[in-house]
Amino acid sequence: MNSPAVVRRPWLDARPGDALPVLTRKVTQEMIDAYAEASGDFNPIHVDPEYSKTGPFGRTIAHGLMTLAFVAQVLNEWSGGRFDASGEIDIAFVGPVFAGDTIEVTGAVEGFVERDGIASVRVKLTCRAGERLILAGHALQPIDSGKS
Amino acid sequence: MSAYRRYDDVAIGDVFPDRPLTFRVRPEIVDRFLAATGNDSSFYRERDGERRAPSMIASVYLIDLLNARASPPGGIHAKQSIRFHRPIAVGEELAIQGRVVEKYIRKERPYVVSDFEARGGDGSLVSSGRVTSIWGKDR
Repeated sequence: MNSPAVVRRPWLDARPGDALPVLTRKVTQEMIDAYAEASGDFNPIHVDPEYSKTGPFGRTIAHGLMTLAFVAQVLNEWSGGRFDASGEIDIAFVGPVFAGDTIEVTGAVEGFVERDGIASVRVKLTCRAGERLILAGHALQPIDSGKS
Repeated sequence: MSAYRRYDDVAIGDVFPDRPLTFRVRPEIVDRFLAATGNDSSFYRERDGERRAPSMIASVYLIDLLNARASPPGGIHAKQSIRFHRPIAVGEELAIQGRVVEKYIRKERPYVVSDFEARGGDGSLVSSGRVTSIWGKDR
């Protein structure tokens, strides 16, 4: 007799130290421009190389919220899409993403906390471009029955 | 007169905009957002005539909201917290409004902290959170 397949649900069966999926993206100026079009954020520090020469970074930088969208992709992949319905995130943009950077987003389960009476997994998040830290913070994902 | 607000004119308690702005989660907005972020997840494909939007479509309506503060160009997004209270369906209309809760100078940089809420047409809370921004240089 065949045993039923064991389906692992990483958000539900999480253990401290578990690693989330890793997302790696090379960020180009074309991507930044496309994100500006998609989001409506045409702040010149993102899309205007001449203006950006006089800014704090000396060149254009990617939108912080674009990087956050990559973080959300990792959290949704890990949680089977539940992050969209009930996840929470709290991060600081520590350093800029420049056109040409390859960024790596990942996370690790830190432990469990209660949020509004619901047990939730606390995840430490990081995003790096090589040795440079881009983003740091944490996410909370309520532990539910697995139904969305 | 500049269309932008000076940092000194921003006050704790300011609500922006005066009336909640509305944002329709149109399929073309979702498609552009998914393409721009390289997201081809099956989560956002139509199923049984319904389609879910990525929660971080919030980054599109947040820009509309933050533009309502009229910060000069060159501002920087420093911190972000956001909590999602339910999934968003493609096609629904959201109402979004923010409020300034804190402002401070740190390392000679002018910070503004704002809370926001996005609600669905039935009044249900869709997302809430806090944005910390470095204000653009006064013009």
